[in-house]
Amino acid sequence: MKKKLLAALLSASMVIGTAACGSSGTSATPAANGGDDGGATATETAAEIDTSEHVVINYMTTGDPPEAGTEKEANLNAMLDELNKILTEKVNAEIQIYYIPWTDYLSNYNLTLARMDGSVDLVGTASDWLDAWPNAKNGAFLELSEDMLKTYAPKTWESVPADHWDLCKYNGEIYLMPEDNFAQWTNHGWIYRLDWAKEAGLSDGVHSWEDMTKYVLWVKENKKDLKYVWDSDGTQYSQMSNGWIASHTDFVAVDGICSGALWGGKKSDLYTVTTPVMTETDSLVEYAKLMKQWAEAGVWPTDVLNNTSGSNRDEFRVGDVAVEQHHTQTWTDLCSATPANKIFQDDPNAEVGIFYFGEESKNVVALSITHGAMAISAGSANPERALMVYDLIRNDKDCYMLFNYGIEGVSWELDENGLRKTPDSYDPDTQNINGMTNYWWGRNDDLEVKDATRNWEAIDKLYAEYDKLKIDYPYGQFVPEVDSIQSKIDNCNEVYTNYMKQISYGIYNGSAEDIVAQMQADLKTAGIDDVTAELQKQFDELYK
Amino acid sequence: MGKSKTASSGTGVRKRGFLETIWRYRVLELMCLPAVIFFFLFHYMPMPGIYVAFVKYNYRKGIFGSKFIGLDNFKFLAESGKLFGLTKNTILYNLAFIILGNFLAILVAILLNEMQHKMFKKVSQTLMFLPYFISQVLVGLLVYSLLNFDTGFVNEILIALGKPKWQPYSDPSVWPVLIVLIHLWQQTGYNSVVYFAAICGIDAEIIEAAKVDGANAFQRIRYIILPSLRPTIVILLLFALGGIVRGNFGLFWNVIGSNSVLYPTTDIIETFVYRATMSDFNFSTASAVGFYQSLVGFVIVMLANLAVKKIDPDYSLF
Repeated sequence: MKKKLLAALLSASMVIGTAACGSSGTSATPAANGGDDGGATATETAAEIDTSEHVVINYMTTGDPPEAGTEKEANLNAMLDELNKILTEKVNAEIQIYYIPWTDYLSNYNLTLARMDGSVDLVGTASDWLDAWPNAKNGAFLELSEDMLKTYAPKTWESVPADHWDLCKYNGEIYLMPEDNFAQWTNHGWIYRLDWAKEAGLSDGVHSWEDMTKYVLWVKENKKDLKYVWDSDGTQYSQMSNGWIASHTDFVAVDGICSGALWGGKKSDLYTVTTPVMTETDSLVEYAKLMKQWAEAGVWPTDVLNNTSGSNRDEFRVGDVAVEQHHTQTWTDLCSATPANKIFQDDPNAEVGIFYFGEESKNVVALSITHGAMAISAGSANPERALMVYDLIRNDKDCYMLFNYGIEGVSWELDENGLRKTPDSYDPDTQNINGMTNYWWGRNDDLEVKDATRNWEAIDKLYAEYDKLKIDYPYGQFVPEVDSIQSKIDNCNEVYTNYMKQISYGIYNGSAEDIVAQMQADLKTAGIDDVTAELQKQFDELYK
Repeated sequence: MGKSKTASSGTGVRKRGFLETIWRYRVLELMCLPAVIFFFLFHYMPMPGIYVAFVKYNYRKGIFGSKFIGLDNFKFLAESGKLFGLTKNTILYNLAFIILGNFLAILVAILLNEMQHKMFKKVSQTLMFLPYFISQVLVGLLVYSLLNFDTGFVNEILIALGKPKWQPYSDPSVWPVLIVLIHLWQQTGYNSVVYFAAICGIDAEIIEAAKVDGANAFQRIRYIILPSLRPTIVILLLFALGGIVRGNFGLFWNVIGSNSVLYPTTDIIETFVYRATMSDFNFSTASAVGFYQSLVGFVIVMLANLAVKKIDPDYSLF
């Protein structure tokens, strides 16, 4: 009998073993808990900070590292050597970059934070696209007390106004240092070839979805040597549908609940939770029909959802495609005659325009200040020094220039107008430091030097237009408590994602009316109404 | 399996003490040691961690310091309303994999065994083995390159033949067949090795004797080889049944990916959970699902073993 029991246990363990194996990373994590409570005492002042021990600060960012042993890596290291000389002199620390490559970046990013073994100190994060709040709630980020900030990051503390710090708080504690002094727009839109749009008869460019339809259909007919009109990889379904909704309603989404922008308010009534995916039925049906029209015309690859090999943006740069769907910041690059954008060298008439989502309905929301922010890992062994390093990189001119642009005279130089340009010897493939440090968590307009290669005439014009239309992101202080509804949110997001892929890429079977109705029915089953009610409750507590 | 049998038969020698027995079989035990260490480290040590499925996991508080929330993490599976469909898909695919896979593996092993030309035998064995080493990511890309509508190899051929093009990536109904075929292509060579080894282990004298008695090749297979393979088949089947609610995630994720049109026939528990929980990165939910799968797997193994024992006690695992 004993033997039998043992055998039963053994076979149970075999089955379970594999289960536990999958999550073995978790069981290893709780041990390392290095700098849990920071050790910053209120009485310390900058002069008394003990920096006698030389430490290495690991800065974690998303992005692909330069390949080892290449010239690119050597150039990055040359910059880091320079920078680390300054950092060593000032705070006896050096910085290393810890990359989270783009493939599956979100899960690797979260996994790295969950390790809590001190492998990262400074963490680039974002409330809308990098799970800043869930990580703060899970205990991945260190609470930054006012004393700590005043002592170790005094310049940052002073430069960020109190109401901005309030937006970085959860449960009364500051977790993030926001990138709040950097003008950029990350509202999405269709980026297109303005010169071709003019050929197509849109002399003023694209300003509506109807124009866009005319443009893509014209390109499909008339530019036969393109690879595709848009070599989409099937991941933009959500931006497209959000864009459609923004263009046809005054909906403002709440960031950071789930990947699809399902919940939000209206510009006219900000604090009543609405779900356009349930209410805007007619508009969605129209959208489904239009996208079917694009799909049938062959605007994107037929098997778009399985097309993982395309790299549309690079193809856009060399003129192999005619459309890119991304945000304004990307457009400022693509519309400029930089060395990488070969279309401008190949075709002197080339022009790149953007039709931003919300243009038709004048619905533009300014960026949340936590779209980019720096946090300190709760597993960091040297949180004080990490803060000191961040303070320098964010506010010290020499450090800022090195970290953002590279070594002067190698990666950049000033032109006669005081703008930043690239030296003649510059090679965009190996000397683009900005594209390797990926510092999107504390850029600072006080220190920024305008890039001379950018098409400022067009960019400034658009920014001025935005400034007239924009409203500030209204839900900065809203960090939803989702524990009780998380499973429903996940299920709703899953349903929405599955249907929206088919709708946005026009590959559904049956009629547009049916697919939208099915989606809404399934969302109802998944509990979308319960989530809406709960969010409304939390809205009321915060705003009423 | 054989090893443990030899070892345990040693305990039958009454007069020797325990320590003496251990010493006597030291070589065999040493050979077992790596496996024992492996199972201890990776299958026993993490077991308490299953507790994570019942807490609201906080990185800083650790698994046992986090708040206990009972079965809340399991709610997600139930609330999705898809548990039945997903479990059905998973089990049906696995049944196809197990039944067809073992059948083919046995067939291949027997064919290899009957092959007379040594060179041909080696080459074909190697060629069948090779797909096993191809990463699932590459398999996904290969399948896409073969089957995609715009530039796929199959469609190029169809065009050349003047036939209408085929659009499998929009047609859920063809994928059960395709997935099973891909799986068999990848795994058969590998699986057949076990059976091939078992056939090689059959006493050559029996087969010789049968030959002398005038049994032809088919009779030898029917009356000697297949019956000798029975224990191996039963054990492998029992092992496979334990994993019947686990899917081959790599295969499904890379071949189907995010193509939601195909989900009705290709979504398995793993792919669904991966997609749905990616958005909130929750260890606890993931572990809850793993626990559910383990539990179902355990019950199935126990039942299957019981059934085997009823039929023939010699072949049961325990």
